Amino acid sequence: MTPLHVVGDFLRSWLLRVPLEAVQVLFVLLPTVLLIWVLRLPRSETTPPDGHGGWSENLKFGAALALLIQIAIYALMG
Amino acid sequence: MQGALTGIDYTVLLLYLAATLALGLAIGRRVRTQHDYFLAGRRLPWWAIGMSLVATDIGGTDIIGVGGAAYSYGMAVGNFEWIGCVPAMIVAAFVFIPFFWRTGIYTIPEYLERRYNVSVRSALAACWLIFMACNLGVMLLASAKMMAVLFGWDPAVCIWITAAFVGIYTVAGGLAAVVYTDAIQCAVMVLGCLLVVVIGLEDVGGWSGLRGKIHAHEQQQAVATTGAASEEPAESTVAARLADPLHPDRVYHTKLILLPMDSPTPFPWTGIFFGLALVLSPAYWIGNQAIVQRSLGAKSEYAAKAAYVWGAVLKNTIPFIIAIPGLIAFAKYPNLPDGDQAFPRLVADILPIGCRGVFLAAFLAALMSSVDSYLNAASAIVTSDFYKRFVQPDATDQHLLRVGRWVTVALVLWAIAFAFYLTGRSEGIYTIFQTMMSFFQGPALAILLAGLLWRRATGKAALIGFLVGLACSISLFTLSQPAVTEALGWRPLFQIEEPFLYFSVWAFLATALTVAAVSLAMRPDPQAKLDYLVFASQRGASK
Repeated sequence: MTPLHVVGDFLRSWLLRVPLEAVQVLFVLLPTVLLIWVLRLPRSETTPPDGHGGWSENLKFGAALALLIQIAIYALMG
Repeated sequence: MQGALTGIDYTVLLLYLAATLALGLAIGRRVRTQHDYFLAGRRLPWWAIGMSLVATDIGGTDIIGVGGAAYSYGMAVGNFEWIGCVPAMIVAAFVFIPFFWRTGIYTIPEYLERRYNVSVRSALAACWLIFMACNLGVMLLASAKMMAVLFGWDPAVCIWITAAFVGIYTVAGGLAAVVYTDAIQCAVMVLGCLLVVVIGLEDVGGWSGLRGKIHAHEQQQAVATTGAASEEPAESTVAARLADPLHPDRVYHTKLILLPMDSPTPFPWTGIFFGLALVLSPAYWIGNQAIVQRSLGAKSEYAAKAAYVWGAVLKNTIPFIIAIPGLIAFAKYPNLPDGDQAFPRLVADILPIGCRGVFLAAFLAALMSSVDSYLNAASAIVTSDFYKRFVQPDATDQHLLRVGRWVTVALVLWAIAFAFYLTGRSEGIYTIFQTMMSFFQGPALAILLAGLLWRRATGKAALIGFLVGLACSISLFTLSQPAVTEALGWRPLFQIEEPFLYFSVWAFLATALTVAAVSLAMRPDPQAKLDYLVFASQRGASK
């Protein structure tokens, strides 16, 4: 038994106590937090400087779509 | 053989290859300088870059390897495309990629010299070069294995022909040829794999038929392994229920994405979350030269961002088209000796005349889109980070263009040689790929983030931290080899097969801690040189 094994066993025993339901929440939480961050980005960060200002130019929509699919996948299939 | 190609298949395949070659060569006629060759003259549109990002990330190795891993371990392998890509791509799109685009660099190591020093640049460039050069061989070998199983062709001939074909249009057209052919290859790849999914699902009786067959095979395999079909799980916890393949509620291959920590697969949730989502994935999408290079060639900062967002949307669909064929193969042939045989066997059995040609085109598209990107990126590193930096700093753009093209030719020859070397090895293709990356991706991400986010990080600390992280991951890899643990009389450090995801976590932490400690113990670098090179200072200046 080396110090590496002691550290590894400690972490393993601690992580094994985490229920899979909590893990699933973690996997859903990550894209959810990112979604909130993306939606709060200033418009100047997500639209072209010389654009017409329409929604189709706003990258928030594409990014939100990608993240919502992630949330759905991990909520339904996790 | 059963999966032999007909004239129609060959026609489909040849048409596709001719179109790709013609496009690459046509673009090549417009290349005049290294700026055109390595950054496509900064004229690339977002839609082409986004499709190229996805096509580059999905290589022939992935079609065989992910299909094989899904066959062996189930949909958990989809995590590599979902949480292992999308979150990092979104963060990269709005934070890191626009930053790199504004600095006007050719390579990520070039940024590291501006931020730290030439030693850090050279160390990173050498690691990326070794990784890319080896990866080129892995990709060529994957194509050879696939074509040998499908058509009984000589693998050696497959390696030579594939390398020559990709080499011609990459040498001619540089990054622009790579990105535009990748965009076509992405569409062909999605179409070809979708064809396998649709026909395969119909063959096994739809989704419910697939689940039923998989469940039955899992039960049989569990009985054969444990001889205890009627035993109830020892514990009633969720983890115990999910870890027990005999539990009636469980369809291991289709239902379970988040595997418990000590499950007998390389994809436990701890490795997926901490190793993949938080370390390897950001390292790949923010720091991988082959990936980032195309966004540096975007025609505007907005286009660079939009490309990553578009790529993230596309990424969500990929596991459905490349992992599900592995599940279908498991339902049809549950006793294959090697998961890497699953996808080729399925294609040979279920696809009708003409469709095999489409799938082979898709496979070659996936293969070529990755090989061309790594060729161009590796050539950029040799030309920019070594030749121009150390051999001829005052070289003209035209001279560097010639050097870049010759380096690409040399890399093609190297890739062929390495593919032949790997042919005699038995380790799974996907594992080789992942393990190689995990050695230095964690340390590379740590010094990149420290450089971008922390003004106090110094060049010497970054180099020392990188070497410590590298030593950490190589040591963990060595200490995980059965021969080593047996010789030392130790039990294994990790409880899972192929713990490459964990190497990256520990190596990242070792590097980050070392960079922090050494930086704080030393005098800071001159602060003036950090303007525009640290994230906060660039944002502040731009405002």
